[in-house]
Amino acid sequence: MALFETHGPFDGTMSIVYQCPQCDYQMAMLTNRAETQMVRSLGVKIGGRKVAAEPMETLRNNLAMPREGISEPAQVASQSKCPFTGVVSQAFDSAENPEFTWTPRAKERIDAIPPFVQPMVQQNVEEFARRNGYDVIDESVMDQVKEILGM
Amino acid sequence: MKTYHDIASDGGSKILEQVTEQQQRLKARLASVRQIVAVASGKGGVGKSTVTATLASSLQRSSCAVGVLDADLNGPSMARMMGVRQFTPQVRDVSMTPARAHNNVAVMSMDLFLPADSTPLLWRAPSQQNAYTWRSMVEMSALRELLSDTHWGDLDILLIDLPPGADRIHNLADLLPDLTGVIVVTTPAAVAQMVVSRSITLATDVAQVPVIGLIENMSSFACPACHHTEQLFPATPDTKALADQHDLDYLGSIPFDSRLAQSLDHGRSFLSVWPDSPAGRAIQSISDLVIKRLNL
Repeated sequence: MALFETHGPFDGTMSIVYQCPQCDYQMAMLTNRAETQMVRSLGVKIGGRKVAAEPMETLRNNLAMPREGISEPAQVASQSKCPFTGVVSQAFDSAENPEFTWTPRAKERIDAIPPFVQPMVQQNVEEFARRNGYDVIDESVMDQVKEILGM
Repeated sequence: MKTYHDIASDGGSKILEQVTEQQQRLKARLASVRQIVAVASGKGGVGKSTVTATLASSLQRSSCAVGVLDADLNGPSMARMMGVRQFTPQVRDVSMTPARAHNNVAVMSMDLFLPADSTPLLWRAPSQQNAYTWRSMVEMSALRELLSDTHWGDLDILLIDLPPGADRIHNLADLLPDLTGVIVVTTPAAVAQMVVSRSITLATDVAQVPVIGLIENMSSFACPACHHTEQLFPATPDTKALADQHDLDYLGSIPFDSRLAQSLDHGRSFLSVWPDSPAGRAIQSISDLVIKRLNL
């Protein structure tokens, strides 16, 4: 089986799809939000750690509202060769350092969508932004996606 | 087809090795600390932090090298009481610098990581829903890091100010197998002593943590002018009897003194201004007993 695609993480969970190179048979693995958060709360790195943890790494990484002057630890890419833990670790690290900046108005529009379709819409918008070289997602980007998707 | 039981490893995460490394790091950091003592009660509002702060000052005045760790992550107060609220810890090589109080006591507290008096401790997560499933775990990790990643240096004694809750001593003992012991604080109030009694039983019988002794705080009210003392709690239970019941040393009683609270509110040393007050003398006497008991 080879890694085919990933979805998420959204709301703390993600899925990873693998595909057989010969027959295209697919299978997906889904992470459990609570279990993933619990493992991360232990201060261990999913996928393994080659570099020693920075001082107070878990504390500084997890503080939602730190004081100015408290630096965030450097993000170290997972060294895991495992096609599951490595992908999960990388995806969650990326989620903590988001690729896009959402303007408050654009975020409000996403939040107004029914929760069960929010991840799908957000993914579509970010994919559109990525293809078109946008770093900031504002209402104009949302409008373009809306026009294309006919939403 | 492989089943769950056929999975021989954790996919390269080496979780066990990572946890072992954390424990070794903790042990190495605390190797330069002679005695690690928790100040606990089980009951809130009995003055654990006040006792910790004044005991730290008193021990330092007796030439001990002292550190204080505020283990009350959600209600930290030691940074303010020790007058170091403005200090922001910085990374230095493989550790973070503790604050240094006016009396050179090393202080580390979650308060030093939070921006304002009104900022609560909130952990980053995809959702705060059902956070009870993981919050205590991330807080234990944070407490471990505050212990293992603070540059304590050579200390005669590290005092750990525990939050309320009978389970706290047990949790700390799990984290710190080398914990020297615990000093238990109570007030003369019957309700406080009931809760404290349960905490002592949990500490001695279940967690197997030595109890260094029992302190009665707010035992009486001492007049600042003439030093006349009156009972603060009428018809109070006998704290010495509680110590006897659990076969503990009674370390002494500290009378209530509003100047003590005022000093700590402003991060000033009570003992440097009023060493000869009834409360000052009581604290010094308790400190001397602790020095004797722990061979400091």
